[in-house]
Amino acid sequence: MLRFILRRIGISFLVLLGASFLMYILTINSGDPLEDLRESNAENREQLMERREDFMGLNDPWYLRYWNWLTGVSKCVVLQCDLGVTRNGVDVGSLLGQAAGSTLRLVTIATLAAIVIGIAFGMLTAIRQYSGFDYTVTFGAFLFYSLPVFWAAVLLKEFGAIRFNDWIAVGTISPVVVVLVAALLGFVAQAILGGDSRRRLITAGGTFAFVAAALFYFNAVDFYRNPAMGPALVAVVGVGAAVLVVSLVTGLANRRVLYAALTTVAVGVISYFALGSVLAEPTWPILIGLFVLAIILASVIGALWGGYSRRQAIFASNVTAVLMSGIIVADIALAHWASFLGLKSRPISTIGSETPNFTGGFWESFLDKGAQLLLPTIILTLISVASYSRYTRSSMLEVMNQDYVRTARSKGLSERAVITKHAFRNALIPITTIVAFDFAGLIGGAVITETVFGWKGMGELFRSGLLHVDPNPVMAFFLVTGIAAVLMNMLADIAYAYLDPRIRR
Amino acid sequence: MKIRRTSAAIAVAATGALLFTACTSPAGTDDPEPGETTTAEGEDEITDPCKVDSGITETAEGNISYSVGEDEWLGINGDTPETYSVYNSVVNGRVESAFVYFGVDGTVCENTEFGTLEVLSEDPLQVEYTVNDDAVWSDGEPVQYADYLLAWATQKYTVDGGEDALFNYVGGLELSEFVPEPPTGANGDKSFVYDYETVNADWKIQVTTAKPAHVVAEQIGVTLDELVVALQEGDYEILEPAAEFWNEGWLSPVPGELPDPSIAVVNGPYTFKENGWTAGQSLTLEANEAYWGTPPGTDELTFRFSAADTHVQALQNGDLDVIEPQATVDTLGQLDAIGDTVSVALGDTLTWEHLDFNFAEGNVFADNLALREAFALCVPRQQIVDNLIVPVNPEAVVMNAREVFPFQDTYDEVVEASYDGRYDQVDLDAAIAKFEESGAEEGTQVRIGYSAPNPRRTNEVEFIKSSCDQVGFEIVDVGDPDFFSVTLPAGDYEVALFAWAGSGQIASGRNIYSTTGGQNYGQFSSDAVDEAWQVLASTVDPNIHLEQVKVIEKLLWDELFGIPVFAHPGVAAYSSSLEGLRKTATQDQIVWNAEQWVRAS
Repeated sequence: MLRFILRRIGISFLVLLGASFLMYILTINSGDPLEDLRESNAENREQLMERREDFMGLNDPWYLRYWNWLTGVSKCVVLQCDLGVTRNGVDVGSLLGQAAGSTLRLVTIATLAAIVIGIAFGMLTAIRQYSGFDYTVTFGAFLFYSLPVFWAAVLLKEFGAIRFNDWIAVGTISPVVVVLVAALLGFVAQAILGGDSRRRLITAGGTFAFVAAALFYFNAVDFYRNPAMGPALVAVVGVGAAVLVVSLVTGLANRRVLYAALTTVAVGVISYFALGSVLAEPTWPILIGLFVLAIILASVIGALWGGYSRRQAIFASNVTAVLMSGIIVADIALAHWASFLGLKSRPISTIGSETPNFTGGFWESFLDKGAQLLLPTIILTLISVASYSRYTRSSMLEVMNQDYVRTARSKGLSERAVITKHAFRNALIPITTIVAFDFAGLIGGAVITETVFGWKGMGELFRSGLLHVDPNPVMAFFLVTGIAAVLMNMLADIAYAYLDPRIRR
Repeated sequence: MKIRRTSAAIAVAATGALLFTACTSPAGTDDPEPGETTTAEGEDEITDPCKVDSGITETAEGNISYSVGEDEWLGINGDTPETYSVYNSVVNGRVESAFVYFGVDGTVCENTEFGTLEVLSEDPLQVEYTVNDDAVWSDGEPVQYADYLLAWATQKYTVDGGEDALFNYVGGLELSEFVPEPPTGANGDKSFVYDYETVNADWKIQVTTAKPAHVVAEQIGVTLDELVVALQEGDYEILEPAAEFWNEGWLSPVPGELPDPSIAVVNGPYTFKENGWTAGQSLTLEANEAYWGTPPGTDELTFRFSAADTHVQALQNGDLDVIEPQATVDTLGQLDAIGDTVSVALGDTLTWEHLDFNFAEGNVFADNLALREAFALCVPRQQIVDNLIVPVNPEAVVMNAREVFPFQDTYDEVVEASYDGRYDQVDLDAAIAKFEESGAEEGTQVRIGYSAPNPRRTNEVEFIKSSCDQVGFEIVDVGDPDFFSVTLPAGDYEVALFAWAGSGQIASGRNIYSTTGGQNYGQFSSDAVDEAWQVLASTVDPNIHLEQVKVIEKLLWDELFGIPVFAHPGVAAYSSSLEGLRKTATQDQIVWNAEQWVRAS
């Protein structure tokens, strides 16, 4: 195995080297780096051109330019990377750091959301194959998949930012809209949950009544401008989440797991009270530390309650702890929404990753940066949800037709157990490899999304570098994306080799 | 099957919705009336091209945000070839004071708050500059002779006295070619005199801003007196470290890291706000407390780095307060649809489109005036302007001069003296007659080259083709991304279609129209034109300048160097709550008078 891995690393290195050479040569030949100067009517145009030729080494032969770049990069081995400077003299190393940071911020949440939503929809549509819901999701998936990003982004800015901001200044929903939204959600709910017509009617009616009541209540308490959940609601939502998790993981019949999850919720609510003062103005290290603590506590709780189903109990309480942390953060953030609106009356900007010179505390800044993430995340998620849901659906359908699923059913297992334990897990195997490759691709950034929302990420680094026929930023981009792609490929190969010894030769 | 049909119906409906929104969303419900959008300009009928008294007495709290594009700010020293760009100068122009600046139509205006200039003698040219007694750097040191001596030295000394400039100054050594000796004065003087060895018609814009010499002295560990002497006498022991600091020390190669306050010493109405720079996002300036003159109207000025096509929506959402979007019909429609909250200002810019003939030997147009005239008679300039420019700038006209723009005071006078209107209208009969007179063969190929892709120029060539092909030419569109790097130097064209950006300089056209000019791509040569330029460039008398411009324009029309077409349109839009904004035709962008902007409460 070790030999196999070493050989893979050696090959990957050679692939990278060859690709970097190709990339460099293609970049420096992709256009005219002096183009803007040629159109200039400065009197000392010739001198300016000469200066740029010297500065960028344009008169050096191509192999020398590549060699200079390569020697700079090879210093990375001793942790003194020299990625050069752009044609404006900006240090590419620091540009790369900033670009990578902002791209990761942008794509991480979008990728996670796309995976969760995509897989959930894929599974649901597979279970309700050929239903109205299935067709709607399929149609929606293809629609979103084929959306031109720049156009969708313009629309989203119009409705998600400009009109939302206009609306939030007042912050009430008109009765007609309330009824429409409730009706729509009721319709969607019955389509997802299915059943005979009587059950569908009850689902739709119940959802409609609940949503309508909730929306009217929100209007009445000025919820959109002044929202709050409060500890009671946090506890209720937490319990709800715990029950959902347990019913998916083992089924509610397994009391040990259920108690483990509920205990986690209880500990979460108690610590929320106990840590109130810390959470009022935390820092990122504190928040992350608390999160780690929550995971450890949840594992302990699961282990203590678990007994014979210890593994499931630990898993269920961990998931519950993650959800609970999310709920608590959401609650605190909601509580700061009003003061955030006070600082920024139009909460969602159409450009930028943060408001310049924003003066709020931790949670106001959190909301500010979160609000700026919202629109690009929606766009990126919509686009990648399509492929994940389609892959999951087909893979799930294939698995559902396998003999072992039929065997499980004929043994009299509940449908939940058949789907979550036997079908879903096996259906996930091909998805995992897609996720691995997709992630490598996402590091490259989302060029158009970054540009239209005014983020400076990897895509922008690549785009502007190529535009100026400036090899250094392009190569920095290549270095990161190339290594990510090769690394992920290698990991996939190793995973295959681990699963299938025939590949290990 | 039933299901399939339903899906198809939904698909059609959805596509329809997409198309529908695509049509209506950006442009709004009704077509923009171009005339309406100009109302904003009606408010301020200021005829003086220079800044007028704003009446501001104190700086108001608040922030105004502006964006010129996605490019990052590069450093305080925007005078190196690497950092010299509009993205940098919109910021640096706010933190620097200069003796002169460009007014809205390109007029050179004097900044009397900063200092005065006085011509002591016209020939030989001798100019005395006096800095305002109150003018200080943001650290309290006075602005004085040493700073301007440093500015002169950056354009004087070469590495080891050779060819290569010691200081990496973007303008090269031009100033010292005219003023070889250091300006006369001593450390601490508020006035100093420049002795021009040869007269420079553009002397006014030779001396503008300066960098703080005392900061350089401090950074390289010498006293200011020592530095002054070294700069005057060319002492390389001190010059070399000074140049090194000047070249590198004022650059900001790591985005987001503002320069240390000890070197970020400025003398403009604004200065850098602490922690005001976020890499890739924005840079914020704040009012300079040490500024002696009229205080800036608004405390903070934020420059956001976002791509031009995001600006209109950002303005609508209040993320940006002032924008200068691409001047297209689409943009105008979007701006118009926003409504009253946004004011739009339309107008010309100091960039002008022209068709230039190729006079290189062997070219059909070389030595064939009749053929050039035939071409000029068939180019539908009015049609081009009416169709492509008027929708964006209702007041656009066909441009009939090269050295003056239609919106400048002397335009009518110059055109009247140089051009009789013979090419105003397309006259195909006359063109055919000229064509026959020229002896050119029917179907003479005319390759019109330009830098592609450029839809507007493609349209222009189409208009020309549909008109001139009737005369006997065969117009060929050779627009190409490599136009400037390959086609133009190789001379593989008959007519070049491109634009020059007016510089506001008086004698810059010499480079284009004189026989040995660096930008005379078409190898035009006329002794009379050369001579007129020589006369123009060697005097500082505005009357002679005007006289010679008339002579040159007439010669260029008679000889048909080329055909001017129009001045490029420009658009500025800003939140209606702002006051004091004035669109400018120059490349200084609308921020040229940012210190006069205030938000009406």
